[in-house]
Amino acid sequence: MEGVSYQRFPKIKIREMKDDYFKFELRETDASMANALRRVMIAEVPTIAIDLVEIEANSSVLNDEFIAHRLGLIPLVSDDAMGMRFSRDCDACDGDGQCEYCSVEFHLNVRCDSDQTLDVTSNDLRSTEPRVIPVDVASRSLASESGGYDSQERGIIIVKLRRGQELRLRAIARKGIGKDHAKWSPAATVTFLYEPEIHINEELMETLTLEEKRSWVESSPTKVFDIDPDTYQVKVVDPEAYSYDEEVIKKAEAMGKPGLVEIYAKEDSFIFTVESTGAIKAYQMVINAIEIIKQKLDAVRLQDSEEPDMGELTQHL
Amino acid sequence: MNAPDRYERFVVPEGTKKVSSERDTKIVNAASFTIEREDHTVGNILRMQLHRDPNVLFAGYKLPHPLQYKIIVRIHTTSQSSPTQAYTQAIDDLDRELDLLKRSLEVF
Ligand SMILES: [Zn+2]
Repeated sequence: MEGVSYQRFPKIKIREMKDDYFKFELRETDASMANALRRVMIAEVPTIAIDLVEIEANSSVLNDEFIAHRLGLIPLVSDDAMGMRFSRDCDACDGDGQCEYCSVEFHLNVRCDSDQTLDVTSNDLRSTEPRVIPVDVASRSLASESGGYDSQERGIIIVKLRRGQELRLRAIARKGIGKDHAKWSPAATVTFLYEPEIHINEELMETLTLEEKRSWVESSPTKVFDIDPDTYQVKVVDPEAYSYDEEVIKKAEAMGKPGLVEIYAKEDSFIFTVESTGAIKAYQMVINAIEIIKQKLDAVRLQDSEEPDMGELTQHL
Repeated sequence: MNAPDRYERFVVPEGTKKVSSERDTKIVNAASFTIEREDHTVGNILRMQLHRDPNVLFAGYKLPHPLQYKIIVRIHTTSQSSPTQAYTQAIDDLDRELDLLKRSLEVF
């Protein structure tokens, strides 16, 4: 029995890669793997977010917990999250969750002394760890280094202050996952679609008048088909625009031309779109998701002590 | 007020085993594996991988209740294999598939 394997050998092709956007094709695997990747990116790839807030002074119009909640939602650069400890597993601080291995401390101290309304933003958060700062602050400092465009753009607004009001607090950011609270999810959106396979029955299509072809092409709510301006032939211009709405199939039937087009979903080909909040690069989200699934599978392996039919197994051997 | 803590969904309580298996009393080569604190993510990839094994006669999983944070994977195999063997094989195969996926991504 040794050496037997029923492994799949998936292929990946990258279509587009930006810091917060990643589009790729995943082939030769099945929907369970595609869906596991999607679910893990949304709910189980860890990031860092503010989790504990100690308010020292707050005379703003928003109450303490409202501000604490807003702070939690600010995406923080989380490139180090995979290597960081969860506070609940941290033995360096024994559940306190405030040591350097499992937390990052922030301070905020703003007071308005003018008649102009003062915006308190992510810019005002002072981190004790330069690698963990709000993502918008990081991208602005990067932009100003490389030519300095739009460095005056304001940060994420936390609260607005009028004359005499102040906000002073200490915040602890921790590692967490989206399953615990959505603020820890690195995903803005993660979607995949089955690649559609579209076959036009050319012979039947040529029995249509140009007017009929136009009305058939226009029956699709998304622009999947078009008419060649020279040959007047109907062609597929964007198969992925097809949203499995079956409108063109119904239209063909209504026109008395069933079988004009056949559309299948390829069951082993997926087109992924990954958008990140910025906490982790979109491409890294996929890599981290793969690593997390590996860790999860490793955790569900059977321990030697709990194999009920070991006796039976040795009998077979 | 009486909602369970959020971490209950993914932290295995102390004294509880992550995986426990129970042999079927009526059918040979059939067993159920109870996996604590896992959901469709692991359940479904395991099930689909088990279906690729020709010695697996039946493989299915269920999430008994949304507030019971566990899944049950049931496997029935031919006499050429055993539920634990198929289960371990499925994990190994998935692990290798993920390794391949990771390597092909890290090229970029
Ligand atoms: Zn700690």
